[in-house]
Amino acid sequence: MSFLHPLALAGLAAAAIPALLHLLERRVPPELPFPAVRYLADAERRSARRLRLRHLLLLVLRTALIVAIVLAAARPLVPSRGTTGTLHPPTALVVILDNSPSSGVVVDGRPLLDRLKLAAHAALARAAAGDRLWLVLADGVARAGSRDALVAAVDSAHPDSRRLAVVAATARAARLVEAEPVPGREVHLVSDLQRTALEGTADAPRDVRVLALAPADAAPPNRGIGMLQPTDGGLAVAVVGTPGTPPGPLTVRLRGRPVARAIGAPGTTVTVSLSAPGPGWWAGDVELEADELRADDARPFVWRVAPPARVATGADAGPFLTAAIGVLRDAGRLAAGSDVSFGERPGPGASVLFPPADPALLGQANRALAARGVTARFAAPGTAGPIAAPGLPGLAGVSVARRYRFSGVDSAAVLATVNGEPWLVRVGNVVLFGSRLDTAWTALPAAPGFVPFVDALANRIVRGEADVHEAEGAARVEFVVAGADTTGATVFRVDPRESDLTPARAAMARRALGAELARDADFAAAAFAGPRLAEVSGLLLVAALLLAAAELGVATLTR
Amino acid sequence: MTVAVPTSQRFDLLDPAEVSRLGGIEIVAEGVVEGFLTGLHRSPFRGFSVEFTEHRPYQPGDEPRYLDWKILARADRLFVKQFEQETNLRAMLLVDASRSMAWHGAEGRLTKRAYADRLAAALALILLRQRDATGLVTFDEAVRQAIPARVKVGQWGRLVRGLLDTPDGRGTAAEAALRRLTSLLVRRGLVILISDLLFDRDLALTALRYLRHRGHQVIVYHVMDPAELDLGGPPEVRFRDLESPASVVVRPRELARAYGETVRREIAAWRATCRRHGIAYHHVTTDLPFGLALRLLT
Repeated sequence: MSFLHPLALAGLAAAAIPALLHLLERRVPPELPFPAVRYLADAERRSARRLRLRHLLLLVLRTALIVAIVLAAARPLVPSRGTTGTLHPPTALVVILDNSPSSGVVVDGRPLLDRLKLAAHAALARAAAGDRLWLVLADGVARAGSRDALVAAVDSAHPDSRRLAVVAATARAARLVEAEPVPGREVHLVSDLQRTALEGTADAPRDVRVLALAPADAAPPNRGIGMLQPTDGGLAVAVVGTPGTPPGPLTVRLRGRPVARAIGAPGTTVTVSLSAPGPGWWAGDVELEADELRADDARPFVWRVAPPARVATGADAGPFLTAAIGVLRDAGRLAAGSDVSFGERPGPGASVLFPPADPALLGQANRALAARGVTARFAAPGTAGPIAAPGLPGLAGVSVARRYRFSGVDSAAVLATVNGEPWLVRVGNVVLFGSRLDTAWTALPAAPGFVPFVDALANRIVRGEADVHEAEGAARVEFVVAGADTTGATVFRVDPRESDLTPARAAMARRALGAELARDADFAAAAFAGPRLAEVSGLLLVAALLLAAAELGVATLTR
Repeated sequence: MTVAVPTSQRFDLLDPAEVSRLGGIEIVAEGVVEGFLTGLHRSPFRGFSVEFTEHRPYQPGDEPRYLDWKILARADRLFVKQFEQETNLRAMLLVDASRSMAWHGAEGRLTKRAYADRLAAALALILLRQRDATGLVTFDEAVRQAIPARVKVGQWGRLVRGLLDTPDGRGTAAEAALRRLTSLLVRRGLVILISDLLFDRDLALTALRYLRHRGHQVIVYHVMDPAELDLGGPPEVRFRDLESPASVVVRPRELARAYGETVRREIAAWRATCRRHGIAYHHVTTDLPFGLALRLLT
């Protein structure tokens, strides 16, 4: 048995009232003279058994009456045979409504999200007062609330620009409901169940039931813009979408002006020739012909056009760095000059510095830094360890055998760390390494990313420019500016995986989610599949009335 | 002292409490007897204490029980028998003066003792008026007053004073009084016991049976207050016995029915036992008009 209002059970303490009254009422009664006490004593002796039985019966009836009323107030639920029960046990339920960009596709003239909202609505509509409810949308946030509040949230949901990690969200939801002290625990996943969304397994606890809307049988055709990569003299456009979708025309615009057209099909990369514009940050977009999913039909891009940095290397640069710069010069990414100097001493312009091989020269290097106005100093040797560099993916994990610590460095100047201590810092237009770019100090010169890193170092990092980042969100571009200079940009776009609308197979969905699948028509009925319950508060009230009548009868008829 | 009683009202039929408020015990008794005899037109004791003298023709209104059935059978004529009063009838009134008699259940109602005194005074007056020697014994745990039966002038006054001079006693021991009575009643006579009978029934009946065995006519008035028939009171109360340390805590509403059954059973037991031994038993309550109590003897 479970209860819709278990807190009301605290009222069961009131069941002790009749017994307490019986005990507390044992006051000294008034005394009256009476001549026929012998008759009284005789009558009492003859009635003692009956009176004891009467008192016991009244005590039981009154206690049972209070218990029945309190239980009725707690609204108990008892298992009901067959389908006559209209209620389910108190259940912790998380409804995951996948309103990711793919939910905006129009199928048979109707947005897919409307179908998903109907299913979520139906599941929530069957929730009872004793259930604990949450709603998870594409943002991944679990919103707790009443049934009405969550239904309103479902009704107001729109296709989001963020992709929902369905499997991870299901796993989190399962853990959430598992912690609830209620008999029922369910996760209802209302999603288009894209094949690409089912990565990994949710591994839901055994006592958590996962019910998912069955994936569609057919995949709607769709094309979308995947990756955009400006190259020398062109733009590589990766077209993504549902496999088998025929090619469609695409238009490239630069600062709003169409500059090229092409045709692309999902799974292909189209390279569009573009004449290089003047130096600077150029924003553009590529747009496909409209199809059933509009969210991925257009995608912005940013093109940084700048002349190659002119670099100079000293004799102390070492063979690895000298070779990398040579390669980049040959490729036209760098030129000879004095814009950026690499060595142990800072040059007149931007400088990339590393510590001297001889520790005795460390003081001399620090004095040169001081003369340049750089606050950072080489300090004591540090311990070996791997490089951590969130903004420089090519460096992450590369081991460092020897290094110097830094002093006088602000945290904002740190570009990479080893063992949590600064290893690569930028102060003004001076970049300082904690190690020499030599394999005796670090494995970086031997790493595959070394040459691209030197390219980024000379052309961008030492100038204080950030890379062009990509982020998930509504299609747009946000530039990073420092003073009057643009130093970086973030391109917001939908996840390319959203473009492939191919639904997962049922078996795959069951395996990844550990879920039962239900079609739209059966989804509401399949929800709350625990034993059917019937509320018996009405019966208890009837019982309370009968008990009250019995108490009245016993109290009056047995006098 | 004169009693201002409307001629349309008879003392014997009024509420005993109201009658008692009109005067002392003598006045009440006289008023009751006058009214009683006016309504009765004959002595209630005629018939058991007189001897036959002659016949006379039957007249409408005569008691059918005095018809001479032998003459009717032989001559087919109606004659009634007439009796001559004896002067040697000796009647003794036994009045219970125990503490339990000094109780009334409601304000304004006579105590059982007051009712018994007035009833005894009325009975004595009737007996003395028909020239029967009448005496009195009052008792509680012991005999308190013992006035031998006489028929001389002033006897009624002595009996009334005997009643008035007997204080409320403590316990009750009717057996002792009845045994004492046997020594006062040498010749066959009439014994009238007025009591609430709250004593050991077997012992009292032993004494009453002895009286019957000696040839005495025995009449028992069982006096009860109406509140002793129907139990009432606060929701819970400790009832304390008047003649002993006994007490009992009861809820009157719970015990009323069982108590009523017990009282009725007790009355029935007294009635049945008395009938079995030839003793006249009359149950009266203190709200019963004296005239109706006296009429029980006819």
